[in-house]
Amino acid sequence: MSAGGAADGIGAGEVWRPLADIRLPTRPGTDRLAADLVGCVVRCARLAHARREQLQTAVGEAVLNALEHGNTYTSELPVLLEVLVSDGALAVRVTDYGSSGPFAPRIAPDLDAKLAGDQAPGGWGFFLIEQMVDVVRVSADAAHHTVELLLYFDQDAPA
Amino acid sequence: MLPQARIASRKVTSAVYALDIAGDITSFAEGALMAAYTQAAEAGARTFILNFAGLDYMNSSGIGLLVTLLIRANRQQHRLLAVELKDHYCHIFELTRLNEAIRVFADEAAALAEINTL
Repeated sequence: MSAGGAADGIGAGEVWRPLADIRLPTRPGTDRLAADLVGCVVRCARLAHARREQLQTAVGEAVLNALEHGNTYTSELPVLLEVLVSDGALAVRVTDYGSSGPFAPRIAPDLDAKLAGDQAPGGWGFFLIEQMVDVVRVSADAAHHTVELLLYFDQDAPA
Repeated sequence: MLPQARIASRKVTSAVYALDIAGDITSFAEGALMAAYTQAAEAGARTFILNFAGLDYMNSSGIGLLVTLLIRANRQQHRLLAVELKDHYCHIFELTRLNEAIRVFADEAAALAEINTL
């Protein structure tokens, strides 16, 4: 992703309109709150119900990562949630105040390995994000992590 | 307010108990889920039907919690089944392959029919 405006790396000439710009509190349960908010914000977009649920899950997981790994549940640090729409896609950006570099899992979750005790039971978050949306971009600077999620309309049946 | 889960164990037959799940399955549901499982196991359950009819939300921590429960059940040679999962969470069970370890049925009657064939 470029360092410019929100979602500007998606395609040349794409015009993005902001739908929401929300400052979320860092506390347990904010992932659910974010998923619900995004569900409401995109209700009028051309997304089938299943695709909207996928976006909500991806947003919830991105926010959960922001709470746990970025802000490490420091209540003074917010999570920033932006929702944008273009003629071709929806974009959601989740930004936290972590400074440890971009969160990227080193090992893909494997159920057999988990059941055998070779992997911890958790660690499904980033895997789910990747499965739920069309594009995931992760970036970081000295003071922030940002996860950008894209969902294209042309892979979607009209709602 | 912390995410809430309400999980109750319910006797179906002498060896089959349902765990009725309502609310949010996240890391905060661990106490409620394990307590319901333990209560049913101590009452003689060998097969546990996880009834998700009341599920509002499940995140990746909740999936990890189900894996933890599955590990515990496997060690005790117990069996887990799932019923009443909404389509979205059925899809997540498939993606994570949880559906291979926890068989998914449309409803409790279908799960019981399967149990009765064994």
